[in-house]
Amino acid sequence: MTSMESGGDGGKWLDAHYDPVAGLYTFSSCVDLADLSGDGENRLVVGDLGTGSSGMKLKVYRGTALMSENTLLDLPAGLVAFFMDLHEPRIPTTAVASGPCIYLYKNLRPYFKFTLPSLEVNTLEQDVWQQAREGQIDPLTLKEMLESIRKKADVPLSVRSLRFLSLETDGLDEFVQLHKQQPIRRQTVITCIDTLKKSTADEDGVSCLVVGTESSDVFILDSKAFIILSKMSLPAPPTMMDVTGQFDVEFRITVACRNGNIYILRRESDKPKYCVELPSHPVGLVRVGKNVLVGCTDESLQGFTQKGKKLWKIVLPAPITTMAPMDLPTRGFQGVLVGLANCEVHLYRDKNLLSTIKTPDVVTSICFGRYGREDGTLIMTTKGGGLMVKILKRTVVFDDRDSAPGPPLAQSIRLNVPKKTKLYVDQTLRERESGVAMHRAFQMDLSRVRLAAAKAYVKALESSLTPMSASLSEPLKMNAVVQGLGPSFKLTLHVQNTAACRPVMNLAISFLYDENLYRIRDPYMRIPLLVPGLIYPVGTFVDCTNDKGITDIIKVFVLHEGRSSPLLTAHINMPVSEGLALS
Amino acid sequence: MQFHAQVEDFSGASGVGSSFSSRPESSAQKLTHKNTKGFESELVSLFFHVSSCQERAPPFSEPCSPELPIVERRNWLIHQHYIRKDYETCKVIIKNQLQETNGMCEYAIYVQALILRLEGRIQESLELLQSCAILNPSSTDNLKQVARSLFLLGKHKAAIEVYHEAARLCDKDWEISHNLGVCFFFIKDFKNAEEHLNTALQINKHDKTFMMLGKVHLVAGETDKAIEVFKRAVEFSPENTEHLSTLGLLYLQLRKYQKAFEHLGNALTFDPNNYKAILAAGSMMQTHGDFDVAMNKYRVAACAVPESPPLWNNIGMCFFGKKKYVAAISCLKRANYLSPFDWKVLYNLGLVHLTMQQYASAFHFLSAAISLNPRMGELYMLLAVALTNLEDVENSTRAYEQAVNLDESNPLVNLNFAIFLYNHGDKTAALDQYQEMQRKVNILQDSSSNLEFDPELMDMAQKLGAALQVGESLQWTKPGKDSKSKPHSATLAKSPSAPLGTNQALGQAMSSAASYNKNIQLPAGTVASRQSLRN
Repeated sequence: MTSMESGGDGGKWLDAHYDPVAGLYTFSSCVDLADLSGDGENRLVVGDLGTGSSGMKLKVYRGTALMSENTLLDLPAGLVAFFMDLHEPRIPTTAVASGPCIYLYKNLRPYFKFTLPSLEVNTLEQDVWQQAREGQIDPLTLKEMLESIRKKADVPLSVRSLRFLSLETDGLDEFVQLHKQQPIRRQTVITCIDTLKKSTADEDGVSCLVVGTESSDVFILDSKAFIILSKMSLPAPPTMMDVTGQFDVEFRITVACRNGNIYILRRESDKPKYCVELPSHPVGLVRVGKNVLVGCTDESLQGFTQKGKKLWKIVLPAPITTMAPMDLPTRGFQGVLVGLANCEVHLYRDKNLLSTIKTPDVVTSICFGRYGREDGTLIMTTKGGGLMVKILKRTVVFDDRDSAPGPPLAQSIRLNVPKKTKLYVDQTLRERESGVAMHRAFQMDLSRVRLAAAKAYVKALESSLTPMSASLSEPLKMNAVVQGLGPSFKLTLHVQNTAACRPVMNLAISFLYDENLYRIRDPYMRIPLLVPGLIYPVGTFVDCTNDKGITDIIKVFVLHEGRSSPLLTAHINMPVSEGLALS
Repeated sequence: MQFHAQVEDFSGASGVGSSFSSRPESSAQKLTHKNTKGFESELVSLFFHVSSCQERAPPFSEPCSPELPIVERRNWLIHQHYIRKDYETCKVIIKNQLQETNGMCEYAIYVQALILRLEGRIQESLELLQSCAILNPSSTDNLKQVARSLFLLGKHKAAIEVYHEAARLCDKDWEISHNLGVCFFFIKDFKNAEEHLNTALQINKHDKTFMMLGKVHLVAGETDKAIEVFKRAVEFSPENTEHLSTLGLLYLQLRKYQKAFEHLGNALTFDPNNYKAILAAGSMMQTHGDFDVAMNKYRVAACAVPESPPLWNNIGMCFFGKKKYVAAISCLKRANYLSPFDWKVLYNLGLVHLTMQQYASAFHFLSAAISLNPRMGELYMLLAVALTNLEDVENSTRAYEQAVNLDESNPLVNLNFAIFLYNHGDKTAALDQYQEMQRKVNILQDSSSNLEFDPELMDMAQKLGAALQVGESLQWTKPGKDSKSKPHSATLAKSPSAPLGTNQALGQAMSSAASYNKNIQLPAGTVASRQSLRN
């Protein structure tokens, strides 16, 4: 399937522009295309988040060049270009949502600022601060009271109280002095913004603004007077929106929320009409025709009806980074572009993959539409800050591939069956001829091995040759370490009493060795009382008296006083002495 | 319902540069913006300064109080990065946000905790979630995550308590009910698990819940209930391959081959690379002797999961069915290498080696299989066949005796023993075994109507019957199918007095199919390709 489109986009797209160091940090919600000067040529408007804490800019591109830059006061959460009035020439206004405000730009100049109404303030909190202002209570009492309000109250505390609660004791007084005169305000933050046509569905009709806020509300704002036309509440803060319809007739707002659900709002009610519970968080929300397509964090793309009924689900090869609609009204084409973390952008119509575009970096925002004078332009920004512009070839036909593809490619790959050698075949033949003899020989040898093993085991047990003593009265364990290059070696024996609680007494160690080869400093040592579990190192020195490089075994015996047979025995293979003895 | 909104307009055109200037009333406040640190860029605050100077000096009566940044102002950004799995950037933003708000931003802490948990630092994550709970004690999301962390730490009982607490704050939450069900499943309280999962399904249907409920029923041994659950699941989301293949396997287990194949086929239509479905469907094809089709399917699976022991076992048995014995041995040996303690692979290796007349090797594989699974009659029977061919009569007899003791339904075991006894001259004992075989055949025929016996088995049994002079008392097929057995008796009639081979025995091959998943216990799907062994 993909081999047909080698190079990813297979000649469907023309590379118009790629600037890998454009320095754009933005999301699909902060990118739009609009004819900002009214000359019939669309500009690209980007709300750049700068470094994420400073350097936020509103950038406008024309062709391949940056045309203008305006500094933004706060992080842009969303950006839309829309018509707010009927004045000629028809020039759209750009609205940038950031913090609690919407900043409007006309002709690339600041024009208007709208601030969302403050939220309801906790009355108890207000009373407490009032008392503080009048000096009735000291800061410490204030803190205690605020603390108790926070625990119980339905209405959350204001920023000021929260900050006050987080302060150390010595900063409280100063803080109260600084802030007590100001009225308490609670402001919310805009999380997403979109437009809704007011009364006509025309391309250049007047639109309202639809704003989702951190306080889990959705506001519809009239763009002329900037009054709130409608307010709707959701169970969780919205993250993405899709709006369709007209305010005066009928509209539908599909909202993805931070709790992983999708809610569908309609004109009549201020509460969600339908709810879709997704198995994972939505990353992208796009409406194609009457269906809503949702990309989820579990690497899936799902289709829903506008009433929230699930239609289909496909699994994608990588996590989704962003999604955008691809609408070509001139050709009646509607699809969805999905940016993936594996540096690909997939184009889907319903659940059929139509095209794959390979990109040099992970795409973070996608915008498709008319740019300059070209209708089918795809604009993408990448994680590294690059800006990419591609133009859809006018001759391209997107053929709907059959939804049931043929057998998977893997079916034609030969199985990797291990080959057998000639030797193997020969051995097989030999086994066929003399299988009985082989079996008998094997059984015979097996019996012999078992016998030999059993004999050796019995012998070891009988003469305590093992380094483990299994006797009930003195369960001991020993291992030996030889250190040094020679001719002097240090021999350390680690003796351990493995009994559960009983100590062992009256033990001694002696050695058996070739006296022509070795000399041991302390050939007989007494072992102290052995407490169970502890490892006792017992050390001595061994001198090699021979310079011929001959080695031998030294046998170590652990003896019990008054008993002739050893408790346990260890055989130490001595290493070759590397040096000469100084005699 | 019109709200009064705060509207400010600007005199932007007259301003220096391109910044917003506010009305004179608010400019006094705006001037103080430059006191806040790092919130606005230098250029902006400079400009405010200029514009306010033009208009009015700040009223001196008001003390300067810096406007505090909104605590939640970066929540959306944190969320955007979190869902895009860009955790590094997310952590940087969270750090900034917590510094700015003095650690009062609940959502930032919450996401930080989730990221830590993803990184495997569950304990630290739990601590952060607890500090979230201090900031907002009534948040169900928070409680749910605390419970989830406890669950991941294996503290199921504690998790259940927290979930109950969360359920008190918001009932009718699918997630809480589902997770409660999972917790109860892990502490083996299947009744409660079932109850909670059903509640979850009533609130909202999710594939996950169906899967879990099915699992609960399977572990509790209620296969029929599990099938019902998966049927509902398939109805709810007809394209979920996991449900389809699981349902198919359950039908396979119940020997409803038609339904099993239907569901497995559906699963393969939606996802041709579904390993589970491929293996199960392949083993069914093998049963019907469609070795080439099965091999085609296995090729797909071999690309996806090249190191699967059951897959190579099945491929090996496909080659065996196609009489490519060397390839069969190669594949089975690979399966054995990948899973040395799987007795089915060893069984098959033994069988193939018997077929190849490599009795000494067969003996080793079979004895290895027996030491792994000492309770299976057929294994002892095969071992006995191998020993017979290795001329070890004494051990062979013992193996047969063990086989007959252990086996309950397979007539082949008794037939082979009978032949063995007959060949060694013990006619009376052979007759006993022959009668035992007849009994088993009758039971099998009673229990299922359309059972067909291997023609070779029937042939051999009839020869032996003639040799033992018991006559044709045994009906191999139901009367309706009598026509089919006639050719066999005809061939038999030609040589009624022919002596049985000096060392003749029947071995039954059983290729183990698709024990793909240890979670769902399937009995070895028996794919019978029977094989006779003659010397």
